[in-house]
Amino acid sequence: MNVQRISAIFEKDMKDFMKNMMLLMMPVIPIVLALLYSRMGDGDKELPILIIYLVVGVTFSAVTSSVMMTMMAEENEKKTLRGLILSPASFLDIIIGKSLVTGLITFISLTVSLAIIGIEPFLSIRAILGLILLFLFFLFLGIGIGLFSKSLAATSAYLMPIMFLFGFTPMIQFLGIAEDSMAIKIAGAFPIMQAMELHDSASWLPLGIITIWVIGAVLFMYVCFKRTTTDD
Amino acid sequence: MAHFKIDYDMINSTSLPTFSLTIDDSYVAAIYSDTDIQAELVKVLQNNGHIPIFDQEDGLYQRLTVEANIAFYHKWFGCQTPIPEILVLFELQSCAKTSLHMCSASDVRRVHYAKYFMSGVSPMVFREPIHGVDIRTINTFINMLQKLKDHHMPVLVLVSNMEHALLLGDAAYKLQKSGLQPIEIDDGEEEVSDIKSSRTPTIASLFKIPAKVDEKMILFDPPEIDYIESQDGKAMLVINDESYAMDSTLAEIEKKLEVYGFYRCHRSYIVNLQKVREIITWSKNTYSLKIDNTLQSTIPLSRTKIQDIQEKFSLK
Repeated sequence: MNVQRISAIFEKDMKDFMKNMMLLMMPVIPIVLALLYSRMGDGDKELPILIIYLVVGVTFSAVTSSVMMTMMAEENEKKTLRGLILSPASFLDIIIGKSLVTGLITFISLTVSLAIIGIEPFLSIRAILGLILLFLFFLFLGIGIGLFSKSLAATSAYLMPIMFLFGFTPMIQFLGIAEDSMAIKIAGAFPIMQAMELHDSASWLPLGIITIWVIGAVLFMYVCFKRTTTDD
Repeated sequence: MAHFKIDYDMINSTSLPTFSLTIDDSYVAAIYSDTDIQAELVKVLQNNGHIPIFDQEDGLYQRLTVEANIAFYHKWFGCQTPIPEILVLFELQSCAKTSLHMCSASDVRRVHYAKYFMSGVSPMVFREPIHGVDIRTINTFINMLQKLKDHHMPVLVLVSNMEHALLLGDAAYKLQKSGLQPIEIDDGEEEVSDIKSSRTPTIASLFKIPAKVDEKMILFDPPEIDYIESQDGKAMLVINDESYAMDSTLAEIEKKLEVYGFYRCHRSYIVNLQKVREIITWSKNTYSLKIDNTLQSTIPLSRTKIQDIQEKFSLK
């Protein structure tokens, strides 16, 4: 770890982000969605938790995962990392620097959309912890995919399953599947659903389950990391 | 003193001849070879010691400005030279605020130089560094080589063009299947007086230069020849982008062609003075002649011959 290198990457990627229309549009998506939902609601009445978590899911999948993936895939595609990476340690610096950029952008996008849609349900330690864990989960997933995708076009393909599986999980209730079916039960264990559980019950178990998901994502990232560093 | 040595053990390849070369930090070595051998040599260098080679295959950040690119690499590599000095050294100050994708190929090449310079790897190996760039960029590159020499950095330049090898290298070598040979960088050991020896031109008309293409013998008019270069002791006649082997040596042809306005401008070159478009002065007090052909080829001009040539063109 080298603080100077991390800050070099951070500054460079912030500048690059501001000039990249494709990335710049990403944080706008959840904000627009939040605006739409808040108009659809009855004005004074608070929106259901489900809708709020839909926005959270979109933020994490469309901003956190996708920004991270796109930034890494672009470096792969344009071969800009060649010549920079002299050791696996410097590779770690790049990932950390980019994670910081992603974190900052996610934070801004999430705060703005939650401010529009109603931030009250999140003003508790457990809900905030849940959000942080969710952020880590989506970040590691993004890093993992970013490591092996060689082009920008490929990332859009990888992003789709992530968005639908993990981002839009609350939507499964609208599909008209029976309450006690297998699909609903499996979907119920997904991170976003567990975060919703936090608001219904007082138990800490959902946080534990999300942590397991995060550990899974870390393992996935580690495997991808090993594969790319040993490849060349 | 830093050294860099290529030796027999490193070269473990069937398509390369075995040779040994030690590169000192006090001069720039240039190796001239054809592209196949060059690619093989690059592979060897990359496998041994993992030397990052300057080959412009790495990307730069196209959306960012030149200055932002430089600032990033400067910080990343922890370069000691201040950024403004880098910008001036590589003549990037005029396009510092321009996005990279708006810059000309030569400007981008100078950013590549700057990046490689700041990376501070040792030894530095350049592959075709000045291929297809403008004169200003070549001058920048020569300045950089000078700076690297001051920093005691061993430098190796790989080119597939003999003129570039002679221009860039303090020591130039030619790498072929048969081995590595030094190309003599002349400094006029042949005296000018020798060339000027009094000879009365014989019949100037009806004089053709024979050269071979496959089995055919072709006769060329002297005025259509651009220049004649020496390769492996054989004279090669160059007309635009084609070259033809001749039977005689450079010295013999020189005598014959003098009357047609040809001039021995370098140990291994005879130039048709009628075709010279420009005399280029490089920053380290070396010279080249630009030929008015489709390729705009540049050929080296010896330091000792510059006065002579200026007299010929009545520049003095």
